[in-house]
Amino acid sequence: MEIKIMKNILDRNQNKAEEVRNLLISKKVLMVNIISSPGAGKTTLLEHTCEVLNPVLRIGVIEGDITTDRDALRLKKYNIPIVVINTEGGCHLDSHSISKVLNSFDLDNLDILFVENVGNLICPSQFDLGEAFKIAVVSTTEGDDKPAKYPMLFREAKAILLNKTDLIPYTNFSMTSFRSDLKKINAGVPLFEISCTKGDGMKEWYEWIKGQILFHDGISGNDLLNSSKRESS
Amino acid sequence: MHEIKIAEDLSLIILEEAARAELSVVTKVNITFGQMVAIVPHIFEFAFRETVRGSIAEDAEIEIEVVPLKMKCKDCGTAFLVSESLFACTACGATDLELLEGKELFIKSIEGE
Repeated sequence: MEIKIMKNILDRNQNKAEEVRNLLISKKVLMVNIISSPGAGKTTLLEHTCEVLNPVLRIGVIEGDITTDRDALRLKKYNIPIVVINTEGGCHLDSHSISKVLNSFDLDNLDILFVENVGNLICPSQFDLGEAFKIAVVSTTEGDDKPAKYPMLFREAKAILLNKTDLIPYTNFSMTSFRSDLKKINAGVPLFEISCTKGDGMKEWYEWIKGQILFHDGISGNDLLNSSKRESS
Repeated sequence: MHEIKIAEDLSLIILEEAARAELSVVTKVNITFGQMVAIVPHIFEFAFRETVRGSIAEDAEIEIEVVPLKMKCKDCGTAFLVSESLFACTACGATDLELLEGKELFIKSIEGE
């Protein structure tokens, strides 16, 4: 006999992700799921972002890594809440692992929670963590063909950060091909061409992410300037 | 490697549904994957075999239907199947597109007795 089911296979992950999303919305915390290959510069991006935005925003970080707490150690100096999830071989984070660590954060005193996913362009893009949105970080040294090769991530991401632009002269990376391919995967997605180590293009990224928090919180720019949330902490 | 987690969650659903229907053996599992989900069928099958080993679904045959990527142009309204990894409207060339099909990841039915 045949039994009809018609159910999303990742239902368990999806249901837990919705629970996480609702909790974060009620606490006005913007969770950003950062996805890239290993070595594209996720942790360096977070280091600089914490350096510049920590004084004005309350930042938390979830570090997803197969093993070790090396990334978390690099962020320790910013004195922000950090939780490490070691997947012990797993190639991505899922909503259950996020849900388990959320109670380690004081969500009432957080504006933004960055999740540094396990370095991988395929698997993490399949699993909703309950984030407000995903961003993709890709570096010029990986080649200009990444959007065409990994369309799911580049289609799903709300912003793309192209890192290591200072190294372009030493590679065969074509900015024209990259931009044109990206346009055909996700037309209109914001693209930040940056060099985390040299600081190029980073100002635009900081302004954009601050704008996303305002939008998420549903408060006006003046409210943020008056620091109503920040003064209470 | 996301195939492993997807196979694990699939096997949980199969065993749950089979128990509900009081099946003693699951002979076939019918699933649908969208092209964009990038599942490699032989890796998925390997992972699935591991997760159902020793259960009533151990010997179940897997039938995978792959749904091609289908998009609709937001400019001219044309719906079309995407034949390459870069997406552009086949009628007007516009790149502002809505994804209609191709992200599916669901179990349709199980068969057994």
